Amino acid sequence: MSALPTRKDEAWRYSDMAAVAALWPPQPARLISVPAGEARADVLRVTEGGIHDLRVELGAGARLNLALLVQSASYARVALVAHLKAGASLDFGGVLLGAGAVVQEIVTDIRHDEPDAESRQRVRVVIDERAVGTYLGRIAVARDAQRTDAAQSARALVLKRTATANLKPELEIYADDVKCAHGCTVGELDKAGLFYLQSRGVPRPEAEALLTRAFVADAFAGLEDAAAREALEAETARWLEARA
Amino acid sequence: MLEITNLHATVGEREILKGLTLSVKAGEVHAIMGPNGAGKSTLAHVLAGREGYEVTKGSAHFEGRDLLDMEPHERAAAGLFLGFQYPVEIPGVSNLLFLRTAMNAQRKLRGEAEISGAEFMKKVKAESATLGLDMDMLKRGVNVGFSGGEKKRNEAFQLGMLEPKFALLDETDSGLDIDALRIVSEGINRFRSAERAVLLITHYQRLLDHVRPDVVHVLAKGRIVESGGPELALRLEAQGYEGLAA
Amino acid sequence: MTATLPETRNAEAAAAVEELSSYKWGFATEIEQDFAPKGLSEDTVRFISAKKGEPEWMLEWRLKAYRLWLKMDAPDWAKLKIPPIDYQDAYYYAAPKAKPTLASLDELDPEIRRTYEKLGIPIEEQKVLAGVEGARKVAVDAVFDSVSVATTFREELKRAGVIFLSISEAIREYPDLVRRHLGSVVPVRDNYFACLNAAVFSDGTFVLVPKGVRCPMELSTYFRINAENTGQFERTLIVAEEGAYVSYLEGCTAPQRDENQLHAAVVELVAEADAEIKYSTVQNWYPGDKDGKGGIYNFVTKRALCRGARSKVSWTQVETGSAITWKYPSCVLMGEDSVGEFYSVAVTNNHQQADTGTKMIHMGKGSRSTIVAKGISAGRSDSTYRGLVRVGPSAEGARNFTQCDSLLIGDRCGAHTIPYIEVKNPSAQIEHEATTSKISEDQKFYAMSRGLSGEEAVALIVNGFCREVLQQLPMEFAVEAQKLLGISLEGSVG
Repeated sequence: MSALPTRKDEAWRYSDMAAVAALWPPQPARLISVPAGEARADVLRVTEGGIHDLRVELGAGARLNLALLVQSASYARVALVAHLKAGASLDFGGVLLGAGAVVQEIVTDIRHDEPDAESRQRVRVVIDERAVGTYLGRIAVARDAQRTDAAQSARALVLKRTATANLKPELEIYADDVKCAHGCTVGELDKAGLFYLQSRGVPRPEAEALLTRAFVADAFAGLEDAAAREALEAETARWLEARA
Repeated sequence: MLEITNLHATVGEREILKGLTLSVKAGEVHAIMGPNGAGKSTLAHVLAGREGYEVTKGSAHFEGRDLLDMEPHERAAAGLFLGFQYPVEIPGVSNLLFLRTAMNAQRKLRGEAEISGAEFMKKVKAESATLGLDMDMLKRGVNVGFSGGEKKRNEAFQLGMLEPKFALLDETDSGLDIDALRIVSEGINRFRSAERAVLLITHYQRLLDHVRPDVVHVLAKGRIVESGGPELALRLEAQGYEGLAA
Repeated sequence: MTATLPETRNAEAAAAVEELSSYKWGFATEIEQDFAPKGLSEDTVRFISAKKGEPEWMLEWRLKAYRLWLKMDAPDWAKLKIPPIDYQDAYYYAAPKAKPTLASLDELDPEIRRTYEKLGIPIEEQKVLAGVEGARKVAVDAVFDSVSVATTFREELKRAGVIFLSISEAIREYPDLVRRHLGSVVPVRDNYFACLNAAVFSDGTFVLVPKGVRCPMELSTYFRINAENTGQFERTLIVAEEGAYVSYLEGCTAPQRDENQLHAAVVELVAEADAEIKYSTVQNWYPGDKDGKGGIYNFVTKRALCRGARSKVSWTQVETGSAITWKYPSCVLMGEDSVGEFYSVAVTNNHQQADTGTKMIHMGKGSRSTIVAKGISAGRSDSTYRGLVRVGPSAEGARNFTQCDSLLIGDRCGAHTIPYIEVKNPSAQIEHEATTSKISEDQKFYAMSRGLSGEEAVALIVNGFCREVLQQLPMEFAVEAQKLLGISLEGSVG
């Protein structure tokens, strides 16, 4: 992949093409490989702009727990391609925080190449000011990858009228005995929840911050390492406080 | 009416029925009892023609016709009814639509005229009233959102509507409270007649307090090991299945 | 997709146009000719326009479209494998009577006849559909009692003030009305196929329901049997003025064969304030044989403009036919509190391919949309749902709910879901859910043990799966559509 992509390319339809051109060609993909039967957890924080390609390879029965926080001042794209062998399991939690006029993207392509693999994805996008936050998430189930169990939940919170959220969850399924589902929402913070907090004495801005933190924390729920999870949550809280 | 001779059947690699012989005549009610894993449900599924249950030896005839040679829906049209232990849910297909489609499919196969809408509804009203199923439930998807007891009452309702000749009832009493058990039993008793027969498959004796069988069989390890009158059921209840002939 | 005209052919066509434009054919005197010569050129466009006796502005509109089309590329983003299309190897105008007639139903392809019977279509109606000689009058009599009933329909519509004409007639009789709305929802340059349609559309329908009028009948019962063979490039324009209501039904459950492989229709709907348009489609064009040979390419552009406040457009489609379907009936929700709905069932079997869905473009405050899409794939087919929900900055409080369900029958087919969600307003609420399932053996066996054959059981379960969509159809059509689903899936169950 050396030719500069264009907006006609489905995977780049919402990208900042000027930034992409300046960054082209990207570094080769970083490989995260978990051998058959092994388990691993990884936390990635992207605070610098750039095109970050990741390639995940899970052997038979391998397990990976991956958490990603994207929060950069300039164009950032994290593109992850994961190949799952028989019985492998992937848990992915991704959060994208954007403010200013930044364009940020999380792109996932989860490939269930063999039967009995499981994937869970939770992606949360919070965007403010004139930022653009994009999540393109594809689940591909190969022919004969029976008993695949794939679920994906994507949610975006648009804080201002000038910001843009783009979500494109995608299912590509070539086997019939599978459980594949995606759910996707874009919206405001729950008004009833805000009112409840206010009625208990929490001022509006704090109530908003609290609910937003909960909204984001959802993505990291799969992370077993409590310290790592708390660090990511603290990072989010700082970003939100800076907005308030 | 139903003649089963030396029936052997496998599920996957495992042989579950190992030479089962049974004869049920019109007008009779038989009960098959036995411990878990004896092959009770397998027998029900083999007779109804479920895929994945392979008959390796023996025969089963219904009114002289070779049952094993027939598709499941042909068996239904011939008058064989299977009451399921776990009735399945079919979202979006209302109970009424389902029943009417089934009734007419059976009638068509038998070369009979379709039932008219008015006649069908009249029958629905009569049957559902006796089983305590209201119209709202019947308009919902097949068994969707039904409790265990409601599902079994729905099976009894279908039995009344479809008017088969032979009812093969698989653990119809499981998951029923006392009232539901009484209602379902009354349904079965209404079904009894000189031209019809019933085969009750059950783990417990309590259903037999309400539906009195003519003959009780004990199924263990894939064969009928003992047959007798209603008193056999009482004895099993008291002594349990342990110590049955291997 | 490789349907793009090769550069050389573009150049050739352009050259041909150049040459012919200086050569004046006496079209006015050639009008008896029943079909335009093979191939597509500026003269083909002139021929069609002349044949229809169109005013100058209409011809100019078509020519502009044609010239634009030459420079455009066919879309290539759909999940479809489209063999190259030779646009010069086709006829673009043929009079309806070119359809071959049969001496009796016995001459009809037995496969089609069998399907007619399964659908329960009366014999006389079958004759009309099959094009049996002399059948039309009889059938009209049989279905509507007498020709006078059809006339009564026309008169009743007229009394209500509803204009219901072929688009050719409308261009002649109401040129200003047509001119105002034609291309206002789907601009000429919208896409490759819509642009081609603008240049060469043969006929279609024009409906105008005036202010405050509720159209007294479904524009279908009458239309269905009397529809002329409007050919491969159909153009429909429906305008509902303030507070008007109309329900329009297009298509037919009976299988339709057509020698024309490419169908590129355009449908435009305009709903003013408080108006409502309900547009239902049952599409059962020839899907090709079991090995994927033949079949119609159905590349359709359908779009509604909900211009006025509280206007509402509801699309319902049951797509079972065609070898390839490329179709996205959409709503531009401009009016405050306007409502867009899309209910769809798409069935593919054997080697069929369908890439279909909708676009809901929210611009008006409080606009709402609902999408329910059910895809069923069997055999070696591929079915894709592709849908866009876009909320602009001005669409305060916009709402969308989308439900996409796929059902796979067998393990050689594919089912795909590709939603695009683009939101620029903080108060929007968008919800999207998608699931994938198969028919469980338990369900099938349960139905069979109650007397249904394997195919009947599958048809019943599939109908349950599609219920939310089917119940949107007008009653009598829903019944036929249900039967159709079963027939379309024949042979897919082991």
